[in-house]
Amino acid sequence: MVKVKICAGSHCSLVGALNILETLEELQEEYPDQIQIERVECLDKCEDIKKAPVVKVDDELITSAQNQIVISKVMERIK
Amino acid sequence: MSKLKGIYTDIVKIRRMVFAELASLALKDAECEEFDKIPYRIIDTEEATYRSSIFKERAIVAARVRMGLGMDYETNQEHKLLSEGIRDFLNNDNQLKEPLVNVIRFACEKCPTNAHFVTNNCRKCLAHPCSIVCPVDAVSIEEHAAVIDQEKCINCGKCKEACPYEAIVNYERPCAAACGVDAIESDDYNRASINQNKCVSCGQCIIACPFGAIADKSMIYQLLKSIKRGEDVRAIIAPSFVGQFGPLVSAEKIVAALKKLGMKEVREVSLGADFASLHEAELFAEDVPEQQPYIGTSCCPSWTYIADKHVPETRENISDSSSPMIFAAQSVKENNQDSKVVFIGPCVSKKLEALSENVKDEVDFVITFEELAAIFVAADIELTKVEAEEEISDASYYGRAYANAGGVAEAIRQNLKEKYEIDPPITKADGLADCRKTLTKAKAGVLEGHLVEGMACEGGCVGGPGTLLATNRGAKNVSKFADQSPYKFAFENDKLKDRDK
Repeated sequence: MVKVKICAGSHCSLVGALNILETLEELQEEYPDQIQIERVECLDKCEDIKKAPVVKVDDELITSAQNQIVISKVMERIK
Repeated sequence: MSKLKGIYTDIVKIRRMVFAELASLALKDAECEEFDKIPYRIIDTEEATYRSSIFKERAIVAARVRMGLGMDYETNQEHKLLSEGIRDFLNNDNQLKEPLVNVIRFACEKCPTNAHFVTNNCRKCLAHPCSIVCPVDAVSIEEHAAVIDQEKCINCGKCKEACPYEAIVNYERPCAAACGVDAIESDDYNRASINQNKCVSCGQCIIACPFGAIADKSMIYQLLKSIKRGEDVRAIIAPSFVGQFGPLVSAEKIVAALKKLGMKEVREVSLGADFASLHEAELFAEDVPEQQPYIGTSCCPSWTYIADKHVPETRENISDSSSPMIFAAQSVKENNQDSKVVFIGPCVSKKLEALSENVKDEVDFVITFEELAAIFVAADIELTKVEAEEEISDASYYGRAYANAGGVAEAIRQNLKEKYEIDPPITKADGLADCRKTLTKAKAGVLEGHLVEGMACEGGCVGGPGTLLATNRGAKNVSKFADQSPYKFAFENDKLKDRDK
């Protein structure tokens, strides 16, 4: 089971977290037993907005997260 | 719907960063010179990332800054510091004017216009059905592949359909493809240009352009300055707002955050939708079919502009009822005459509606959800940590459902059934091209007795260019929030009591 924490704070939502969440949720429909998504309040890593969005895949912290990076990290762990 | 809708690209990022910078400078009461630094803060690399040169990238950001402040687009032919222009503007009219949607011309990459091309999938097959089905004999079989004579080609698409190798593609400018009213033309340099006589300011081309070369103007700065001056600013928020600011940010939190920002009051525009659906039901019951053959809904400004500019014969049958925005603004100003009202919504063309002669005294500012999200960041308001205070319950189920395609007609129909025992046939136009087609049908007289709903954005307001959420997700949130309403029908809404229901 891959645990993904995705920040749903103001900064991260403005710069793409909502879109990453949408893709993750679609992926979760394909692999319902293998992905757990937690929408969390600000992870306090985005004091500089350039570090947003912030996502955690298991223990790996990803700043300035991009959709393709997050999804591929999740996919790696599913395989 | 544009393929780019709902995808977070660097274009979206830059647009939002510009909004956040503008909001931040407004809140800091910064000097004009500070605006000169925005292009450098947003494009802070050493080499170009997106374009031929970093100077061009910054010039495009500067053009975005100007429009973000509400200023007109300017060519780059004259030497003028960004801050000089801004100082002139802020000291003089400081007022957004038409045209609302503009091509940043030097950002346009001059995509080829509509044409059919043969790709290298072509096997130069013996059958070559492409040339046989062509009605104008434009496809010839040359040494290596089929070739389309662009002079002869009429873009009928028959060759594309006939090819067994998917070798023929139809290439369209994304901006022009998104424009259902054919307002995108080319200037002398073959760059996209918007024919303002045809443009209905829906904003779809802004989302569709893969080079981010089209932008609308904004009132972020004027709104925040008004709040900073201590003016009594009150917000009315459009029905599609639910969930736009993230999955942890409830409607109540959004209201609380707006108050934190300095709004004295926040009301749902759905309250205005309840007024509007009752009013339009009344008009329908009184006038259709005796006085007028059908009624078109009035809430979508781009839809009414399509009638104005493209099918003027139908304009008199588009309801002259005020839009939910106007009703909601009036309900605020009734008791607070000196207040300023800001409409917050998914919509670009509402900015234009608010400038019109009979609306400008009711609605003072219009901003989008996207612009508001950037304001929250600039004001350092962390939405997930805002404490929700009061419940929000201004509107009925059907008023809240106005934001989804079909919701407007359904609300009016419920009122007609309940109050007038009329169940009219309904025609729904969903998206720009469909709106135009529907109005053309209406003009031809085939919609007699119909209630005609027009939504210029596909999916309804939840598909608006100023949203942050994908259209289908926005729609789900709207339906869920509608279910929580204390009233089912507009006529049950206690808040309308003072008005003549």
